Amino acid sequence: MSPEIEQFLSGMKKTIEEVVMPNLNDRFAQEQAGIVAASLGFLGLIQDKTFHYELLENQEYKRVLTDINELLNNTFSAPEAIIETTTKVIDHFDKDKVDDPSHLRPYTFIRASNEVMKELLCEFIQHQPAMSPELRTAFEAIMKPFFKSIELRERSWVKALGFDPEADQQADIADLLYKNGLLNISKPC
Amino acid sequence: MRDYYTPTLKNRAQPGDDWIQNIRQQFPTEATLDEVLTKKLRNRAKTAEHKTDFGDLQTRLVRYLKKATGQDDLIFENLHRLSGGASKEQFTFDLTWNQESGIRSSEKLILRMDPTESIVETHRLREAQMLDAMWGEVPVPKVYWTDPVGEDLGHPFLIAGFLEGTVQPEGGDKASGLGMFFEPNLRLDLKEQFVQHLAKIHTVDWRNKGLTSYDSPRANHIEANEWSLGWWERVWQEDAVEAHPIIENAALWLRENMPIVEKPVIVHGDYRSGNFMYTDEHKINAVLDWELSHIGDFHEDLSYTTCQILGTPMDDGSVLTSGLLSKDEFLDKYQHYSGHTVDPKRLFYFDVFSYYKVAVISIATSSRAAYGRKTHLDAMMNLLTGFGYTGVSALQRLLDHAS
Repeated sequence: MSPEIEQFLSGMKKTIEEVVMPNLNDRFAQEQAGIVAASLGFLGLIQDKTFHYELLENQEYKRVLTDINELLNNTFSAPEAIIETTTKVIDHFDKDKVDDPSHLRPYTFIRASNEVMKELLCEFIQHQPAMSPELRTAFEAIMKPFFKSIELRERSWVKALGFDPEADQQADIADLLYKNGLLNISKPC
Repeated sequence: MRDYYTPTLKNRAQPGDDWIQNIRQQFPTEATLDEVLTKKLRNRAKTAEHKTDFGDLQTRLVRYLKKATGQDDLIFENLHRLSGGASKEQFTFDLTWNQESGIRSSEKLILRMDPTESIVETHRLREAQMLDAMWGEVPVPKVYWTDPVGEDLGHPFLIAGFLEGTVQPEGGDKASGLGMFFEPNLRLDLKEQFVQHLAKIHTVDWRNKGLTSYDSPRANHIEANEWSLGWWERVWQEDAVEAHPIIENAALWLRENMPIVEKPVIVHGDYRSGNFMYTDEHKINAVLDWELSHIGDFHEDLSYTTCQILGTPMDDGSVLTSGLLSKDEFLDKYQHYSGHTVDPKRLFYFDVFSYYKVAVISIATSSRAAYGRKTHLDAMMNLLTGFGYTGVSALQRLLDHAS
């Protein structure tokens, strides 16, 4: 399919920067046109990676929720509210199975599933005060590397927007998403 | 018709009465903040996208001014839209009228008006009262009229005197003034004043300032911090377009580690470059953008102002607070001018709080406003999420350090 999306975006960006902006007299309009051009430039950089970003998150959230459920299955001290969240996770995994061939699913299916899993993980996080000290420590141990991976991925994703004072120290998003030419996940999708 | 990924996201996009009530109970805030946040939610499903058509603004504004002054012979001229800023729609105009002193004079005025939804939902009466309270204490614009309801122009607004001066130095085209660069001679002239004004704000006796739209937190109590955190937790729950484990974890940490506030002070809430103006003689002639002000812990302003993400990165790898001075110098000078002793533990608490607040504003509310097409700056609101996610990264690194 041609033109590719990147070509459309770069064409629009060039037109705004070289034709529209020089002919705008209103300062507010100039400022907003500049923001539109910057947004188009950003979209040009990330547009071919959005599906794989969500696919990677799909696998990461399935893995962490599975680990948490296993932790809770092996403890006798989990309060009722936490068990309810565990049940919701199991129910969700009926709709988007852990070993589902997610890469064959439409983007919106994966995006929706990811949002459900994010909300469930946030429920577990809210339940931490109800956990026993031992359970909470074990939970935190699961979460620590997971938080780190979210943080690195998101910061890398937005670094081209120009707000990061340490942008040159952040990995390119492609280097986080792919390894040896394939999506960088520990389990097959 | 949009599909919603989860019931929570549907409730946020189309909030019903029960859901709104539940949010209000779960996250108590000051009364006037509750008022604007509740109004935002009630309007969300009712109002269409924000339109940037101001064809009849002059007519409505003149009608309002005639009513407010009781003068039919006022002269209204030169209505212009202002660029810059990330929150309110701003216009300037010239007005000739008989002032309270009886003298007929002309003055350039600024109109600050809420869009349908904003990157921060705040109360124009609070802003007006705080500007009045600060008049004579630190340099601020003089407020003439306020309509916190929005009856006359369709949106709440505030009209104040326009001050001539510079917010961004030449070539400093930074979004909302973040990370602004000042030449060394300018830094030298401004930095002392910058710290002095904040010290002054924190030492004003706010109980005698007519701040009726502000709730007064108890001294030696966590109440002020509960309200501060409750405000941003509530905003996150109302506006987030996706759940976020790091933000959720940060809110829990802030709740579990909340310090008491011995002596509550006026907190500016957004004290940084971009929110002050200076003259050609390098004198700060206005401290601006008081919409996030409240009564709380002075450490809240100190952490926010020295927050690395709001600072200016220098070639040697250091970061200057508001582009003016190092964090250490800022804190030393602040202690000297205010007489307050900075507690590193509380400063750390508010470092976490500041990044949490930045994340809530820049990821949840900015994205929500653009999602609903509710502001005049939708493109900018999307772009600002990049600022928010950079803030989330810093937030996580702090929490890692805390554990």
